[in-house]
Amino acid sequence: MSQTQSTQVSESGCPECGGRVRADGTETVCTDCGLVVGEHRIDHGPEWRSFSEDDTNPERTGAPRTRARHDRGLSTEIGRPTRTTARKRRRFARLRTHHNRAQIGSKRDRNRVYAFTEIRRLCDVLGVPEAIRDQACVLFESAQDADLLRGRSIEGFAAASVYAAARAANVSRTVPEVCSAAKASTDEHHAAFDAMNRELGLPIGAVHPAEYLARFASRLDCASDVESRARELAETAVEAGLVGGKNPSGVAAACLYTAGREHDAELTQQAAADVADVTPVTVRNTYVDLRDRLETAIE
Amino acid sequence: MNREDRRVVSREYFSDERLAEHHFRSFNNFLNRGMQDVVDEKETIETDIGDKEGQEPVYVELGDVRMVTPRVREADGSEELLYPQEARLRNITYSAPVFMEMSIVRGGEEEPETVVDSTETKVGRMPIMVGSEKCNMAGFSDEELIDIGEDPVDPGGYFIVNGSERVLMTSEDLAPNKILAEYDTKYGDEIQVAKTFSQRRGYRALVLCERNREGLLEVSFPSVSGSIDFVTLVRALGLESDEEIVHRVSDDPEIVKYMLENLEEASVQTEEEAIEELGKRVASGQGKNYQLKRANYVIDRYLLPHLHEEGVEEEDVRINKAYYLCRMAEACFELALGRRESDDKDHYANKRLKVSGDLMKDLFRTALNKLARDVKYQLERANMRNRELTVNTVVRSDVLTERLEHPIATGNWVGGRSGVSQLVDRTDYMGVLSHLRRLRSPLSRSQPHFEARDLHATQWGRICPSETPEGPNCGLVKNFAQAMELSQDVEDEQGLKRELASMGVEGIPGIEGVDRTTADD
Repeated sequence: MSQTQSTQVSESGCPECGGRVRADGTETVCTDCGLVVGEHRIDHGPEWRSFSEDDTNPERTGAPRTRARHDRGLSTEIGRPTRTTARKRRRFARLRTHHNRAQIGSKRDRNRVYAFTEIRRLCDVLGVPEAIRDQACVLFESAQDADLLRGRSIEGFAAASVYAAARAANVSRTVPEVCSAAKASTDEHHAAFDAMNRELGLPIGAVHPAEYLARFASRLDCASDVESRARELAETAVEAGLVGGKNPSGVAAACLYTAGREHDAELTQQAAADVADVTPVTVRNTYVDLRDRLETAIE
Repeated sequence: MNREDRRVVSREYFSDERLAEHHFRSFNNFLNRGMQDVVDEKETIETDIGDKEGQEPVYVELGDVRMVTPRVREADGSEELLYPQEARLRNITYSAPVFMEMSIVRGGEEEPETVVDSTETKVGRMPIMVGSEKCNMAGFSDEELIDIGEDPVDPGGYFIVNGSERVLMTSEDLAPNKILAEYDTKYGDEIQVAKTFSQRRGYRALVLCERNREGLLEVSFPSVSGSIDFVTLVRALGLESDEEIVHRVSDDPEIVKYMLENLEEASVQTEEEAIEELGKRVASGQGKNYQLKRANYVIDRYLLPHLHEEGVEEEDVRINKAYYLCRMAEACFELALGRRESDDKDHYANKRLKVSGDLMKDLFRTALNKLARDVKYQLERANMRNRELTVNTVVRSDVLTERLEHPIATGNWVGGRSGVSQLVDRTDYMGVLSHLRRLRSPLSRSQPHFEARDLHATQWGRICPSETPEGPNCGLVKNFAQAMELSQDVEDEQGLKRELASMGVEGIPGIEGVDRTTADD
């Protein structure tokens, strides 16, 4: 073990001073003396594309690794040979069955596969970026490792992971949004989220209403000036402490509604409340608060 | 036509819309009916739910597909219209969401069928051809195009996947569903072969009818190893009597003589015997009942699938298959007697071009099958876990999206073809135009194929006689001529047949009011 490590250092270390080298763009530079060890980075790995004629299969072995698969995307799949005898095809079909069964070792793995499938589906429906999807998968893994799943549903944890990951990355989705897309019910989601929040110490603070604005605005077909005004209003509302105790999505809807009124946009309280999954009353109360606040500011 | 008029026509052929017209027409056609056709072919997704006792079966019914124009979904969840230039700059895919109506139906065994859930759901994203009907720039004026950062003289006709422009190479295939007679050699002897690439709904089966050195006809088709006697097969299809078989092949005395030799050698006399014989071939060593079942299945599934048609009785289809085989036999004999020459594979009448829409249809079909398999799995899983079955929670739209985008991004098409999509050649403007109007023969470029590379007289007016690369691809990669017109397949096949029947064509299957037996006289 130590031998391999030493050879690695001598191979990748700086030839002048033996210091650590760092890849910077296409250059490989020694971090100690600044010697440029290499200017062109060559990928010695297998080739992505096939250049030779009539060679249909590229050498590259597969897609990059991802946390969104239970095996990090390193699984081997047995394909379907097209131009072989029927006997060979049947043999491959049997091999495939066995291989598929052997891929999942334990119940734990099976649950993970199921949850990751659900997380991937959810992220796709909600339009959450891939980095957050991977984060959600990691979150689920830690929940599983902390033995939180006992007595709670996998679907709930899948939904809660996505919700928490999105919230931690400041691109929050509302609970009703997540739950309407998820297989889990709202109760399952809450049970899972509470457990995760309590046991794992999620780095999550209060949601800023502005996080919801872009999505609500695009769903309400708001003009961009309305949206940017709503953003200012959300900022004001947070500074003035109007958000405390209120549903942030309701506040976001109220900000949009207020901005819409200022710009004479056709936007009803009901419509604003609908996209935020809150009652018009919530929107109205925040609107009144906001208006009072703005009036006092002018005075 | 005088010179001025010719110039007008010529200029029209060089206008923006005409340069990539074949791509637009083909892709629009795919969007407007091709997609729905593929979904209608699929019709339902069956599940294994209900195989157990006391469980009601569940299946999914597929309805209308709908598509909007390309849009992008940001990380914050907002959705906006996407224009090609933005897709290029941000390295994203110029694709539009596809929606499909789906309903989950439960019951049918003991309880009546009830719809558990029915909604229109997003099933995936379809890459959209720049400049097609569903492109966001459709109908824009030059000024508007400049405003969104687009070149007004850019011909379009390509896709943008992960920011790179990909054009789907038109491929030149041998025409399917046509009898081609030619010579072949087997064990040193010259034999005559009639070939048909029978194609229906993406399934392609090669049927061969060969006259071996003893003068006997043998037919081979997928799922049957080796070959089977022509007479046996025709009898299995319901053409029983000697007289009828001979009569169906030809009235030519010499051919009749050949046919009689064949009939003498025949091992079976009736339809039942013939099907038994076929069963022994396709499922040897199995029980007799299974053999019969398998034989019938093979006939209906793998033999000349293009003769199947909606609304035509199974029995009629079989007899039509028999007639078709007789036509192939006739072609073999005529070739043997020197009554005709072998068919010219390089003749442009025997060629069909697969343009972007046809290629996308192939892709969509496999992608939809993959989606269906996933939906089936998700449904069974949800049912096993006693979850409520809802359309939205069983459809994973990334399945379809990935299956559509990946082949366009890499060029590795379904069916093992590679290099189907290529990066648009932006060396200069002419490079783009030439690239969009290029077509490729699927023949291997490492083999000589001299005849295929030669300029054929029928390419006149269709293929440019001078634009072809030097080197291994010479003559295999071609370019359209300036005034090339690409005709499309008929939208309404039934309508065409009715029209033909009204013009006096007799014996068209599935057309009422035409007595089929009169075709004999």
